[in-house]
Amino acid sequence: MSSKIFGAAVALALLTPDAAWALDQKKVDAIVKELDDRQRNSGDYKALCYIEQKERGKNDLVYQGVFYRRDEDDKLMILFLKPKSEAGKGYLRLDKNMFMYDPTVGKWERRTERERIMGTDSRRQDFDESRLAEEFDAKFVKDDKLGKFAVHHLELKAKKGVDVAYPVLHMWIDAATGNMLKRQDFALSGRLMRTTYYPKWKKVFSESKGSEVYYPEQIRIFDEVEKGNKTTVVITSVDLKSLDANIFTKAWLESKSR
Amino acid sequence: MGMLIQIAARNLVKARLRTLFLGSALTLVTALLILLLALSQGVTDTMIRSATTLASGHVNVAGWFKAKVGDSAPLVTQREKIRKIVEENTPGLDFVVDRGRGWGRVISDTSSLNAGLTGIDIDTEARLTETLQLAEESEYVEGGSAELHGKLEDMARPDGMLLFAAQAKRLEVRVGDVVTVTVELMSGARNTAEFTVVAIAKDLGMMSNWSVFVNSAGIRKLYALSDDVTGALEIHLEDHTKATEVMKHLTGVFEENGYEVMDHDPQAFFMKFETVQGEDWTGQKLDLTIWRDEVSYMSWLLLLIDAGAFLLMVILSLIIAVGITNSMMMSVRERTSEIGTLRAIGMSRSRVLLMFLTESLLLGLGSTLLGGLLGMGLAYGLNAAAIPVTSTAVRLILMSDTLHLVVTPGQLVLATLAFSIVASLAAFLPAFRASRLQPVKAIQHAS
Repeated sequence: MSSKIFGAAVALALLTPDAAWALDQKKVDAIVKELDDRQRNSGDYKALCYIEQKERGKNDLVYQGVFYRRDEDDKLMILFLKPKSEAGKGYLRLDKNMFMYDPTVGKWERRTERERIMGTDSRRQDFDESRLAEEFDAKFVKDDKLGKFAVHHLELKAKKGVDVAYPVLHMWIDAATGNMLKRQDFALSGRLMRTTYYPKWKKVFSESKGSEVYYPEQIRIFDEVEKGNKTTVVITSVDLKSLDANIFTKAWLESKSR
Repeated sequence: MGMLIQIAARNLVKARLRTLFLGSALTLVTALLILLLALSQGVTDTMIRSATTLASGHVNVAGWFKAKVGDSAPLVTQREKIRKIVEENTPGLDFVVDRGRGWGRVISDTSSLNAGLTGIDIDTEARLTETLQLAEESEYVEGGSAELHGKLEDMARPDGMLLFAAQAKRLEVRVGDVVTVTVELMSGARNTAEFTVVAIAKDLGMMSNWSVFVNSAGIRKLYALSDDVTGALEIHLEDHTKATEVMKHLTGVFEENGYEVMDHDPQAFFMKFETVQGEDWTGQKLDLTIWRDEVSYMSWLLLLIDAGAFLLMVILSLIIAVGITNSMMMSVRERTSEIGTLRAIGMSRSRVLLMFLTESLLLGLGSTLLGGLLGMGLAYGLNAAAIPVTSTAVRLILMSDTLHLVVTPGQLVLATLAFSIVASLAAFLPAFRASRLQPVKAIQHAS
């Protein structure tokens, strides 16, 4: 009898891929850390971005902007160039404070870190340095298939005391490349809020880091509550040369609209 | 003086055509002014009614809680204790309700809108249930019937939500439909909850565009708050004109009881998030306001109507002044010999001056009184007719679906006095000229 039970258990284990392919916690943590590390640059970062917002019942909007990062100081500047009505607007993150500047009123306003950039579904974190390992505890869910890709499905929960927009994330990491392919953000209530796809990753060599820096060339964000709303972010022209320190100042952004 | 009034009255009757023409003009402009003032008062009254039904008491004990310096949550902790202080220390208290406050996005299957969320306990909201009226289905559904759906009492459901007709129309929902509300918590995390539309009320002016009522337990759950936390204690007074006085009194009472009270900032609570975020403190501070502060963002509307009324009053006064001056000059010219005779038999210059001024004052008083009564009658008539306002833009400005005019005794006194004084002043120059006439020359003028 016991040999039958043992046999059944072995068969079940073989039939259940989760159990058979389960990653241990060390590996899970390493995957998340790797995700952060490969996107991090020890020096500066500059890129051109396009944000296309499709919202039901509204005209499509396309923004063009440049974002600048200095990861070692946690500084971020986003300057919008187009459309004309939005040119000169921008965001500046300094010492964990996020500010928005509107040249039409010449005023700076403090915003939260979770701000929807220009009212689109994209957020600061989509442009900023990846801090998943710092902000979340990850656990393995299962190995899965995403289209033709073999992926690790992970669940990340926000660490206590850390302010994040979505306290629970699910991620699908390409088992072959280690790139994130899909991410789902959940509200505190457990409701799925948005699904993000990262169909294209690119890399560029960083002299300051001495290795390659990865960035998603395209981010497709689908609003899961307001079905039909979606945002596409395209990141191009990544430049890792060092930036002038005065870029990360309010005066610099103000000067751009004079 | 009696003699002067008698002469003035006789002169007015004698020149009956001129008196009729001038008197009619004065009557009409006074009636017009009364109507405009009644409109302004009507909008003010609607604003008070909307504000104190939807978003505010006459006085509010609200507050801000900051767990970290960069936070700003519109919350009041220890609500029972604070309520007790309010109940024991508010002079002229009518009743108190406590309401949750929030700001979120209401999402239906087809549309969405941003709205202020007000958490209510329907059993304590007698005023609200008296004021709100259920909307007919046709008010929010194209080709809908005149039927009323839903019940305000169903707001007792923990997932109950009350929308206004314009919101229901925009969201394309009916009673019984479920909508999702998304909010940002104090920690920055997003949260959601499902609410069922249990009632759809008639619009209550501009403010009902962005006010949504939900069950108080529902809003607490949405914001993950304990039972002893609320958004604001809304105090209703027997006499709303005492609001500022009561607010100052309560500020002192709370400070004596060891509470930190913010400096009075006459703005709606949702306009203070950034200010509070930028302040360098943590913990709880109370924020006392009056109803006018909570609708301060609409004060431009009253200012606009009042400025319009003032401008009209100035223009009408000028027209009246020119009319009266002209008419009196003609009168002086026609009666030059009479003035000469009066002066010759001993009437003093000042009496002549007074005689003409009295004539003008009599005309002014009589006409403006008549105009005031006419304006009042018209206002009551228009109110009784409940003329519907079909234009959305005008509805937004008037804050009402029907024309609502309120006449007060103050307005009648103001209009009557103002135009009577204008009429008298306008007559001063011709009267002065008449008083300066030499009796001999005046008599010769006749021949």
